[in-house]
Amino acid sequence: MRKLWIIGWKDLRLAFRDRSALIFMLLAPFLLTLGLGLISGRFSGSSSGFNSIPVVIVNQDEGQIGKELVKLFQSDNLADLLYVVVIDKAATAQAHVDNDKVAAAVVIPAGFTESIIPDANAMLTGQASGKIEQILVYSNPNRPTSAGVIQSIVKSFTQEVEKMRIAEQVAFSQMFVNGILTQNDMALIQQLVAKTQSENQKTKNLIVLNNQTTTAEAKDFDVLAYMAPGMALMFLMFTTSNGGRALLSEKNQGTLPRLLVSPTRSYQVLGGKVFGTFLTGTAQMLILIVSSGFLFNLRWGNPLAVLLLVIVAVFAAVGWGLLITAFAKTPGQVGTAGSALMLLFGILGGSFFSLSNFPTWFQMVSKITPNAWGLDGFTRLASGGTLADIVTPLCALLIMGVVLFAISIVVFNRRNVMRV
Amino acid sequence: MSFILEVRDLVKDYDGVHAVKGISFDITEGEIFSLLGPNGAGKTTTISVLSTLYKATSGDALIGGFSVKQQPQEVRKLIGVVPQELAIYDELTGRENLSFWGQMYDLAGNTLKKRIDEVLEQTGLTEKANQRVKTYSGGMKRRLNIGAGLLHKPKLLFMDEPTVGIDPQSRRAILDSVKELNRQGMTVLYTTHYMEEAQELSDRVGIIDHGELIALGTQEELTRQVGETESLVLHLGDTDVPETLAAAVRDIPGVLQANISDQSVTIISPAVEAVLPLAVVKANTLGYKIRTVDIQEPNLEAVFLKLTGRALRD
Amino acid sequence: MKKILTIVLKDTIIRFSSLSEWLFFLILPIIFTIVLAGGTGAPKDTRIILAVTDLAESPLSAQLINELENSDVVRPDVKELEKAEDDLKSRKVSTMLVIPEDFSLENLSSRELRIDFYQLPNSLDAIASEQAVQEVISKISSSVEIAQNSVALAEQVHPFSSERDRQAYFNTAMKQAQEEIKNAPQRMKVQLAATKAEIDYDPQANSSAGQLITWVFIPLIGISGMFAFERQKGTLRRVLVTPTVKSTYLIGTILGQVFWALVQMALLISFGILVMKLHWGQNIPALIVIMISSALSAAALGVMLGAFVKTEGQATGLSIMIGMVMALLGGCWYPIELFPKIVGTITKILPTRWAMQGLLDLVLRGQGMAAVLPEAGVLLAFAAVFLIIGIWRFKYE
Repeated sequence: MRKLWIIGWKDLRLAFRDRSALIFMLLAPFLLTLGLGLISGRFSGSSSGFNSIPVVIVNQDEGQIGKELVKLFQSDNLADLLYVVVIDKAATAQAHVDNDKVAAAVVIPAGFTESIIPDANAMLTGQASGKIEQILVYSNPNRPTSAGVIQSIVKSFTQEVEKMRIAEQVAFSQMFVNGILTQNDMALIQQLVAKTQSENQKTKNLIVLNNQTTTAEAKDFDVLAYMAPGMALMFLMFTTSNGGRALLSEKNQGTLPRLLVSPTRSYQVLGGKVFGTFLTGTAQMLILIVSSGFLFNLRWGNPLAVLLLVIVAVFAAVGWGLLITAFAKTPGQVGTAGSALMLLFGILGGSFFSLSNFPTWFQMVSKITPNAWGLDGFTRLASGGTLADIVTPLCALLIMGVVLFAISIVVFNRRNVMRV
Repeated sequence: MSFILEVRDLVKDYDGVHAVKGISFDITEGEIFSLLGPNGAGKTTTISVLSTLYKATSGDALIGGFSVKQQPQEVRKLIGVVPQELAIYDELTGRENLSFWGQMYDLAGNTLKKRIDEVLEQTGLTEKANQRVKTYSGGMKRRLNIGAGLLHKPKLLFMDEPTVGIDPQSRRAILDSVKELNRQGMTVLYTTHYMEEAQELSDRVGIIDHGELIALGTQEELTRQVGETESLVLHLGDTDVPETLAAAVRDIPGVLQANISDQSVTIISPAVEAVLPLAVVKANTLGYKIRTVDIQEPNLEAVFLKLTGRALRD
Repeated sequence: MKKILTIVLKDTIIRFSSLSEWLFFLILPIIFTIVLAGGTGAPKDTRIILAVTDLAESPLSAQLINELENSDVVRPDVKELEKAEDDLKSRKVSTMLVIPEDFSLENLSSRELRIDFYQLPNSLDAIASEQAVQEVISKISSSVEIAQNSVALAEQVHPFSSERDRQAYFNTAMKQAQEEIKNAPQRMKVQLAATKAEIDYDPQANSSAGQLITWVFIPLIGISGMFAFERQKGTLRRVLVTPTVKSTYLIGTILGQVFWALVQMALLISFGILVMKLHWGQNIPALIVIMISSALSAAALGVMLGAFVKTEGQATGLSIMIGMVMALLGGCWYPIELFPKIVGTITKILPTRWAMQGLLDLVLRGQGMAAVLPEAGVLLAFAAVFLIIGIWRFKYE
């Protein structure tokens, strides 16, 4: 066992002395994370968090309902959500949207109230009172989500208004149909109509939305918290395949045969080299994690869980490195295959962008990468998860590693890689 | 016979190292001249300057009458270079390599084709010509390396330690081919740290150490410097020779020099037969057993030893 | 000159002698292009994903989910409770709706129902989702509410004689309410403004152009490795003692790689035209101008780096890293408009930025020669500067 350690540490030292490898192992993921962080505007301080939605309202309606809508927009309930400005001219309002100053302009047309509330006659005849007026929501295509919120608010309002109208309509017409009221009860009708309209009874909402904001840390979704582990995992693949490359070039250089004719057994040699790669990969991840924690103020999460995740992720990555080495003929092949795989896994595993927009089959394929599982685990931990939350990715990575190791060893033996 | 190479006070410094400290020598057309010296003596640097790769710090050399400093392009057309490392492309075939290098020497068309075939024949690589060099054995690669320097029929061939690290068979082949080339009229400047090679090949030898030419001449002239002295080499088997033994041996009358190298003492004396028994007694007294004894005629090794006090292969 | 061709041929044989070169030449670029374009351009659903768990599985809950499907804002994704909770926790979704077991029409008629809605804090998406859900919910309960209201009002005038009567009245009222709701006029209309898009972006075009630059720049920067390789091998020294002039060697090496880079670009562009149906071919001369100037600037960068790189291994790693970082910051992976303004300005010192803009001018904005000339000019200037530095510092040893 001791020999394993010795060989392992030797390889670790060698790896960190190789300047080009160092560039790749540490500098590259760093710079890419930096670059991606710049995109998200993280460093310029602008958060991707939430600011009030600016909206401008024009009320051309002379009646009650228009005023109600404006009151709704200006209510305390929506005060945190919206930033409301009421102006006179519709053209100006639309100009604000065209110039990308607000998310939307809400224009309540003249005669809106009239078009909804029927007069008593219409109630009897069941006819609509006049032309339909529509509230215009002039939306900014650059801010679809914000505009969507405003649309929803207006839609809910019109639905509510519509409901009230229909409620009156139905209530009265049912009474007529059932003979509870007749045309002769005009006085009573007017009394009732006046009563319902003046009381402005809103029908009770029967379904109530029980809103629970989760206790996840109220921080802005940190793009960097996603990108940094993504990059770290991608370059991990490079390191682990590099170990394999070193193994094969030792074979060519002659230091491997030298090891093999020493009293060290071949499995010890292989085990030692694998262990060395493992140590190197772990060191790399930990260095990146600690330094990014300092420099970018990243919270990776529960330290113990993070450490465990790193270990199994490296284990799985080493498995892949071994597999490449087992099948390759020259160190050059390992190097190229390793780089290619690193990039492929990077894109498949979600290191460059979230996979949630991709079709299911793609997400299935990504599961063969340590990147996908590792990222899953790291994002959970970064949003406050505990060890219990990462059990699935941990197991997946462990199994991946074991399977890859097993296959590699079989192939190694078959191809007599450890014999010279 | 004219001088094809004339070196005058050549000095080369780089990176603060005084690599070549002012050497001068001439090579006549048609001879094989060896530059003999231990590793780090300045052989490769000298060849690099003479082959126009480096610029001399001071001094100059004339090759075929052209100045290395002022007219490097002309010089390059006249010289062939066989570098110490295998400067050939593994991913190309033997033929493709020769084609490339031939074209670098401005050969083309049928002339090129003919030369390639000739060189392949000369180096015994005709059969493997269309296989990639990476499939060649070490010896074959060396031969191709040499071949690449011959395509343009140079007047002067520089060979920088061409036999380092190869098997005896291939080395033999290379030495024979050098002699054959010379027979065909090629002038060769051959650097090496193997005395036997210098001895076998050269018409004249220049011994170089620490950037200086410490001896120059035919082999006879050089060994004559050592005089009537012979070398007596006592091998002690697997023990290291302590300074005490060397000192004791030096006390023996008639011993000019006694130097330790590997597990042996090399004694230089004009009367080795007389010295031998005394040396053996000294060794036994001190408790060392002598395994084998060599008596060597004066040779270049001895010359070097005499001049520098160190063995050629230190 | 014939010697230049010889050098080009030599380099080509060496470069393509390994099959793995094809990986970086064509295979990886194509894969990345496709993936980053989001598949082959099938229109994507960009609505906010709302995780929904249906514990009731009643007609009412089905109606709720159906209405959610029709929403412009959210896209319901029905799944098991644990999965939904998991997704919320791992931030795959920003909102979750749990429809309780008792969510049915019968229950709705008799009492108030509560639905649990979970959202992540500080999320605009969550807020938008909430509004959308609220809208749907009130729509569903409307008919019941209206019917109840009818009953209440009728009762004020003339109380019902029996529970059955009341129920009957309720049912007819509800029926009418449903009818009315169905035929209710649209009181709101949405119109999209003519706001200038802040980001000129088409995933297909951007991906094709961006990946083109990334994967062409990387091997060209890798020229640095070629020099390191020849230096290590001793073949560089050997060339220098032949009558071949230094500049011939440099030109031959560079031109060879530039040639293959152009071939590579042509292949990737063909892929873009044939498979992704992009408009690369609408101005061929302009395209060629940009291709050549980009390739030259990248090759020159490779030469410059070659002066500082010692081993081939170093060069490979460096070229991938530098290539990717420059591509990323140049807007090849994500549109440059996404960057903070100051970053957008600083990155103008990168040739990739200019190359990308040039390509986008052609394939995205449909412009012509006049538009790309400035960018081509800058790229050639880069090439000149890099080349001068590279040659000045070139180590032949």
